[in-house]
Amino acid sequence: MGNCFKTPSTDDISLLRGHDNQDGAEQALGPPPPYQERVPVYHPSPNVSRLANQLSEEEQIKIAKRLGLISHLPVGVYDGSSKKGKECVICMNEFILGESLRFLPCMHTYHRDCIDDWLMRSFTCPSCMEPVDAALLSTYETN
Amino acid sequence: MASMEKRLQKELLALTKDPPAGVKVDSQRICTNLSEWTVDLEGAPESIYEGEKFQLMFKFGSRYPFESPQVMFIGEHIPVHPHVYSNGHICLSILTYDWSPALSAQSVCLSVVSMLSSCKEKKRPPDNAFYVKTCSKNPKKTRWWYHVLLNKVERNSVNMYEEERPCDMK
Repeated sequence: MGNCFKTPSTDDISLLRGHDNQDGAEQALGPPPPYQERVPVYHPSPNVSRLANQLSEEEQIKIAKRLGLISHLPVGVYDGSSKKGKECVICMNEFILGESLRFLPCMHTYHRDCIDDWLMRSFTCPSCMEPVDAALLSTYETN
Repeated sequence: MASMEKRLQKELLALTKDPPAGVKVDSQRICTNLSEWTVDLEGAPESIYEGEKFQLMFKFGSRYPFESPQVMFIGEHIPVHPHVYSNGHICLSILTYDWSPALSAQSVCLSVVSMLSSCKEKKRPPDNAFYVKTCSKNPKKTRWWYHVLLNKVERNSVNMYEEERPCDMK
Protein backbone atom coordinates (compact mmCIF):
# COMPACT_ATOMS: atom_id res chain seq x y z
CA MET A 1 0.00 0.00 0.00
CA GLY A 2 1.51 3.31 -1.00
CA ASN A 3 0.61 6.83 -0.13
CA CYS A 4 -0.74 7.55 -3.56
CA PHE A 5 -4.45 7.18 -2.85
CA LYS A 6 -6.43 9.83 -4.57
CA THR A 7 -8.67 11.88 -2.33
CA PRO A 8 -11.99 12.58 -4.01
CA SER A 9 -12.23 16.10 -5.30
CA THR A 10 -15.15 18.17 -4.15
CA ASP A 11 -15.08 20.15 -7.39
CA ASP A 12 -16.57 17.26 -9.33
CA ILE A 13 -19.59 17.14 -7.06
CA SER A 14 -20.17 20.87 -7.15
CA LEU A 15 -20.23 20.69 -10.95
CA LEU A 16 -22.85 17.97 -10.84
CA ARG A 17 -24.95 19.99 -8.40
CA GLY A 18 -24.98 22.81 -10.93
CA HIS A 19 -27.51 20.95 -13.08
CA ASP A 20 -30.96 22.47 -13.20
CA ASN A 21 -32.58 19.08 -13.52
CA GLN A 22 -32.51 17.49 -10.05
CA ASP A 23 -33.17 14.00 -11.39
CA GLY A 24 -30.24 14.27 -13.75
CA ALA A 25 -27.96 15.23 -10.88
CA GLU A 26 -29.26 12.34 -8.80
CA GLN A 27 -28.47 9.93 -11.58
CA ALA A 28 -25.01 11.33 -12.08
CA LEU A 29 -24.32 10.83 -8.36
CA GLY A 30 -25.68 7.28 -8.46
CA PRO A 31 -23.76 4.06 -7.86
CA PRO A 32 -20.10 4.08 -8.82
CA PRO A 33 -19.16 2.44 -12.12
CA PRO A 34 -18.44 -1.29 -11.79
CA TYR A 35 -14.69 -1.04 -12.33
CA GLN A 36 -14.38 0.46 -8.84
CA GLU A 37 -15.42 -2.84 -7.28
CA ARG A 38 -11.89 -4.12 -7.49
CA VAL A 39 -10.55 -1.38 -5.25
CA PRO A 40 -10.00 -2.89 -1.79
CA VAL A 41 -12.30 -1.82 1.02
CA TYR A 42 -10.84 -0.60 4.31
CA HIS A 43 -12.48 0.08 7.64
CA PRO A 44 -10.78 3.09 9.26
CA SER A 45 -13.05 2.61 12.27
CA PRO A 46 -15.73 0.08 13.17
CA ASN A 47 -18.87 0.38 11.04
CA VAL A 48 -17.06 2.63 8.56
CA SER A 49 -16.25 1.12 5.18
CA ARG A 50 -14.44 3.01 2.50
CA LEU A 51 -12.85 2.16 -0.79
CA ALA A 52 -9.09 2.56 -0.73
CA ASN A 53 -9.29 5.52 -3.10
CA GLN A 54 -11.79 7.31 -0.90
CA LEU A 55 -9.73 7.34 2.28
CA SER A 56 -8.63 10.64 3.74
CA GLU A 57 -4.92 11.14 4.22
CA GLU A 58 -5.35 10.70 7.96
CA GLU A 59 -7.15 7.41 7.44
CA GLN A 60 -4.46 6.17 5.06
CA ILE A 61 -1.83 6.84 7.70
CA LYS A 62 -3.91 5.16 10.37
CA ILE A 63 -4.37 2.07 8.19
CA ALA A 64 -0.70 1.89 7.24
CA LYS A 65 0.30 2.12 10.91
CA ARG A 66 -2.26 -0.49 11.84
CA LEU A 67 -0.97 -2.91 9.18
CA GLY A 68 2.52 -2.43 10.60
CA LEU A 69 1.41 -3.05 14.17
CA ILE A 70 -0.56 -6.16 13.25
CA SER A 71 2.48 -7.62 11.54
CA HIS A 72 4.32 -7.45 14.89
CA LEU A 73 1.80 -9.69 16.63
CA PRO A 74 2.96 -13.30 16.92
CA VAL A 75 1.43 -15.93 14.70
CA GLY A 76 1.52 -19.71 14.87
CA VAL A 77 -0.15 -22.87 13.80
CA TYR A 78 -2.70 -24.77 15.87
CA ASP A 79 -0.95 -27.83 17.24
CA GLY A 80 -3.84 -29.23 19.26
CA SER A 81 -2.69 -27.94 22.65
CA SER A 82 -5.79 -26.89 24.55
CA LYS A 83 -3.91 -24.21 26.47
CA LYS A 84 -4.42 -21.83 23.61
CA GLY A 85 -8.19 -22.31 23.61
CA LYS A 86 -10.08 -24.47 21.19
CA GLU A 87 -12.47 -22.18 19.45
CA CYS A 88 -12.18 -18.94 17.56
CA VAL A 89 -14.90 -16.75 19.07
CA ILE A 90 -15.08 -14.68 15.90
CA CYS A 91 -16.17 -17.41 13.47
CA MET A 92 -17.30 -19.75 16.29
CA ASN A 93 -15.45 -22.65 14.70
CA GLU A 94 -13.09 -24.95 16.53
CA PHE A 95 -9.44 -24.71 15.61
CA ILE A 96 -8.29 -27.43 13.27
CA LEU A 97 -4.73 -28.82 13.36
CA GLY A 98 -2.49 -26.79 11.11
CA GLU A 99 -4.70 -23.69 10.98
CA SER A 100 -2.97 -20.36 11.14
CA LEU A 101 -3.53 -18.52 14.44
CA ARG A 102 -2.63 -15.15 15.86
CA PHE A 103 -1.81 -14.56 19.52
CA LEU A 104 -2.67 -11.25 21.17
CA PRO A 105 -0.62 -9.87 24.09
CA CYS A 106 -3.58 -10.57 26.41
CA MET A 107 -3.10 -14.27 25.55
CA HIS A 108 -6.33 -14.59 23.59
CA THR A 109 -6.01 -16.57 20.37
CA TYR A 110 -7.95 -16.36 17.12
CA HIS A 111 -7.75 -17.51 13.55
CA ARG A 112 -5.28 -15.23 11.86
CA ASP A 113 -7.71 -14.18 9.13
CA CYS A 114 -10.55 -13.61 11.59
CA ILE A 115 -8.63 -11.41 14.03
CA ASP A 116 -6.75 -9.46 11.35
CA ASP A 117 -10.07 -8.46 9.83
CA TRP A 118 -11.21 -7.17 13.24
CA LEU A 119 -7.93 -5.48 14.19
CA MET A 120 -8.11 -3.39 11.05
CA ARG A 121 -11.34 -1.93 12.42
CA SER A 122 -10.56 -1.77 16.10
CA PHE A 123 -7.23 -2.44 17.76
CA THR A 124 -8.76 -4.22 20.75
CA CYS A 125 -9.11 -7.83 21.80
CA PRO A 126 -12.69 -8.94 21.06
CA SER A 127 -12.78 -11.09 24.20
CA CYS A 128 -11.36 -8.81 26.88
CA MET A 129 -11.57 -5.45 25.04
CA GLU A 130 -7.95 -4.83 26.05
CA PRO A 131 -6.34 -2.29 23.68
CA VAL A 132 -3.70 -4.21 21.76
CA ASP A 133 -1.32 -1.32 21.14
CA ALA A 134 -0.89 -0.49 24.83
CA ALA A 135 0.04 -4.10 25.54
CA LEU A 136 2.36 -4.16 22.52
CA LEU A 137 4.15 -1.02 23.66
CA SER A 138 4.69 -2.38 27.16
CA THR A 139 6.26 -5.55 25.75
CA TYR A 140 8.63 -3.36 23.71
CA GLU A 141 9.58 -1.36 26.77
CA THR A 142 10.33 -4.40 28.90
CA ASN A 143 12.47 -5.95 26.17
CA MET B 1 -20.18 -14.87 3.05
CA ALA B 2 -20.06 -18.54 3.99
CA SER B 3 -18.36 -18.10 7.37
CA MET B 4 -21.01 -15.63 8.47
CA GLU B 5 -23.79 -18.03 7.56
CA LYS B 6 -22.16 -20.82 9.50
CA ARG B 7 -21.80 -18.64 12.56
CA LEU B 8 -25.40 -17.44 12.29
CA GLN B 9 -26.62 -21.02 12.05
CA LYS B 10 -24.67 -21.89 15.20
CA GLU B 11 -26.00 -18.85 17.01
CA LEU B 12 -29.56 -19.59 16.01
CA LEU B 13 -29.24 -23.18 17.19
CA ALA B 14 -27.79 -22.04 20.52
CA LEU B 15 -30.47 -19.42 21.03
CA THR B 16 -33.28 -21.85 20.15
CA LYS B 17 -31.92 -24.63 22.33
CA ASP B 18 -30.75 -22.63 25.30
CA PRO B 19 -32.32 -19.17 25.31
CA PRO B 20 -31.86 -16.69 28.17
CA ALA B 21 -34.88 -16.37 30.46
CA GLY B 22 -37.73 -14.50 28.78
CA VAL B 23 -36.33 -14.93 25.26
CA LYS B 24 -37.91 -17.07 22.56
CA VAL B 25 -36.93 -17.58 18.95
CA ASP B 26 -39.04 -19.33 16.41
CA SER B 27 -36.33 -20.87 14.26
CA GLN B 28 -38.93 -22.17 11.80
CA ARG B 29 -39.74 -18.62 10.89
CA ILE B 30 -36.10 -17.68 10.43
CA CYS B 31 -34.99 -20.62 8.28
CA THR B 32 -35.91 -18.86 5.05
CA ASN B 33 -33.72 -15.83 5.72
CA LEU B 34 -30.87 -16.26 8.16
CA SER B 35 -29.92 -12.60 8.08
CA GLU B 36 -33.17 -11.36 9.63
CA TRP B 37 -34.49 -12.67 12.92
CA THR B 38 -37.49 -11.87 15.03
CA VAL B 39 -37.04 -12.65 18.70
CA ASP B 40 -39.83 -12.66 21.28
CA LEU B 41 -39.06 -11.08 24.63
CA GLU B 42 -41.09 -11.19 27.79
CA GLY B 43 -40.68 -8.74 30.66
CA ALA B 44 -38.95 -10.50 33.56
CA PRO B 45 -40.96 -11.47 36.64
CA GLU B 46 -40.78 -8.82 39.36
CA SER B 47 -39.64 -6.17 36.92
CA ILE B 48 -41.90 -3.29 35.91
CA TYR B 49 -42.39 -5.00 32.54
CA GLU B 50 -43.56 -8.28 34.04
CA GLY B 51 -45.85 -10.14 31.65
CA GLU B 52 -45.42 -7.63 28.82
CA LYS B 53 -44.48 -9.08 25.44
CA PHE B 54 -42.14 -7.43 23.00
CA GLN B 55 -40.51 -8.27 19.70
CA LEU B 56 -36.92 -7.58 18.77
CA MET B 57 -35.74 -7.52 15.19
CA PHE B 58 -32.16 -8.47 14.34
CA LYS B 59 -30.64 -7.71 10.94
CA PHE B 60 -27.23 -9.17 10.25
CA GLY B 61 -25.26 -7.44 7.53
CA SER B 62 -22.69 -9.11 5.31
CA ARG B 63 -19.91 -7.86 7.61
CA TYR B 64 -21.29 -9.54 10.71
CA PRO B 65 -19.69 -10.37 13.18
CA PHE B 66 -17.14 -7.64 12.42
CA GLU B 67 -19.96 -5.15 12.51
CA SER B 68 -22.82 -5.18 14.98
CA PRO B 69 -26.25 -6.39 13.95
CA GLN B 70 -29.01 -3.84 13.59
CA VAL B 71 -31.32 -4.43 16.55
CA MET B 72 -34.57 -2.67 17.36
CA PHE B 73 -37.97 -3.29 18.89
CA ILE B 74 -40.72 -3.82 16.35
CA GLY B 75 -44.47 -4.26 16.40
CA GLU B 76 -47.27 -2.60 18.28
CA HIS B 77 -45.75 -2.89 21.68
CA ILE B 78 -42.53 -0.93 22.19
CA PRO B 79 -41.36 -0.88 25.81
CA VAL B 80 -41.60 2.49 27.52
CA HIS B 81 -38.02 2.82 28.74
CA PRO B 82 -35.57 5.73 29.10
CA HIS B 83 -33.27 4.14 26.49
CA VAL B 84 -35.88 2.96 24.03
CA TYR B 85 -37.38 5.41 21.56
CA SER B 86 -41.00 5.07 20.53
CA ASN B 87 -39.90 3.98 17.03
CA GLY B 88 -38.15 0.96 18.56
CA HIS B 89 -34.57 2.28 18.42
CA ILE B 90 -32.48 1.24 21.40
CA CYS B 91 -29.64 3.28 22.85
CA LEU B 92 -27.28 0.53 23.93
CA SER B 93 -23.53 0.89 23.53
CA ILE B 94 -22.83 -2.71 22.50
CA LEU B 95 -25.00 -2.14 19.45
CA THR B 96 -22.55 0.42 18.12
CA TYR B 97 -19.24 1.55 19.64
CA ASP B 98 -18.80 -1.22 22.15
CA TRP B 99 -19.61 -4.03 19.75
CA SER B 100 -17.10 -6.84 19.62
CA PRO B 101 -17.18 -9.98 17.45
CA ALA B 102 -17.01 -11.99 20.67
CA LEU B 103 -20.56 -10.83 21.37
CA SER B 104 -23.52 -12.60 19.81
CA ALA B 105 -27.27 -12.44 19.30
CA GLN B 106 -27.55 -14.20 22.64
CA SER B 107 -25.48 -11.60 24.46
CA VAL B 108 -27.47 -8.80 22.83
CA CYS B 109 -30.72 -10.45 24.02
CA LEU B 110 -29.28 -10.73 27.53
CA SER B 111 -28.27 -7.06 27.53
CA VAL B 112 -31.69 -5.94 26.36
CA VAL B 113 -33.45 -8.12 28.94
CA SER B 114 -31.24 -6.81 31.73
CA MET B 115 -31.67 -3.24 30.50
CA LEU B 116 -35.43 -3.69 30.87
CA SER B 117 -35.21 -5.57 34.16
CA SER B 118 -33.07 -2.95 35.85
CA CYS B 119 -35.41 -0.09 34.93
CA LYS B 120 -37.27 1.56 37.80
CA GLU B 121 -39.56 3.93 35.99
CA LYS B 122 -41.39 3.68 32.69
CA LYS B 123 -40.62 6.75 30.68
CA ARG B 124 -39.43 7.63 27.21
CA PRO B 125 -36.04 9.23 26.54
CA PRO B 126 -36.27 13.01 27.09
CA ASP B 127 -35.55 13.76 23.41
CA ASN B 128 -37.96 11.14 22.06
CA ALA B 129 -40.19 13.44 20.02
CA PHE B 130 -37.29 15.17 18.28
CA TYR B 131 -35.28 12.00 17.72
CA VAL B 132 -38.17 10.03 16.22
CA LYS B 133 -38.86 12.87 13.80
CA THR B 134 -35.26 13.35 12.66
CA CYS B 135 -33.49 9.99 12.92
CA SER B 136 -32.50 7.59 10.17
CA LYS B 137 -34.50 4.39 9.78
CA ASN B 138 -31.40 2.46 10.69
CA PRO B 139 -30.50 2.99 14.38
CA LYS B 140 -26.86 2.23 13.60
CA LYS B 141 -26.69 5.52 11.72
CA THR B 142 -27.39 7.53 14.84
CA ARG B 143 -24.35 8.88 16.63
CA TRP B 144 -25.24 7.82 20.12
CA TRP B 145 -23.80 9.55 23.09
CA TYR B 146 -23.09 7.25 26.00
CA HIS B 147 -22.28 8.51 29.46
CA VAL B 148 -20.94 6.61 32.37
CA LEU B 149 -21.74 8.57 35.51
CA LEU B 150 -21.16 7.33 39.02
CA ASN B 151 -21.01 3.75 37.75
CA LYS B 152 -24.47 4.13 36.39
CA VAL B 153 -24.81 4.27 32.67
CA GLU B 154 -26.86 7.20 31.40
CA ARG B 155 -27.54 7.32 27.74
CA ASN B 156 -28.85 10.00 25.48
CA SER B 157 -28.87 10.32 21.78
CA VAL B 158 -27.45 13.35 20.11
CA ASN B 159 -27.90 14.34 16.58
CA MET B 160 -25.33 13.46 14.10
CA TYR B 161 -23.04 16.44 14.11
CA GLU B 162 -20.36 15.21 16.47
CA GLU B 163 -17.06 14.60 14.73
CA GLU B 164 -15.33 12.68 17.45
CA ARG B 165 -16.52 9.42 18.86
CA PRO B 166 -19.06 10.79 21.30
CA CYS B 167 -18.14 8.57 24.13
CA ASP B 168 -17.45 9.92 27.54
CA MET B 169 -16.11 6.95 29.43
CA LYS B 170 -14.54 7.11 32.83
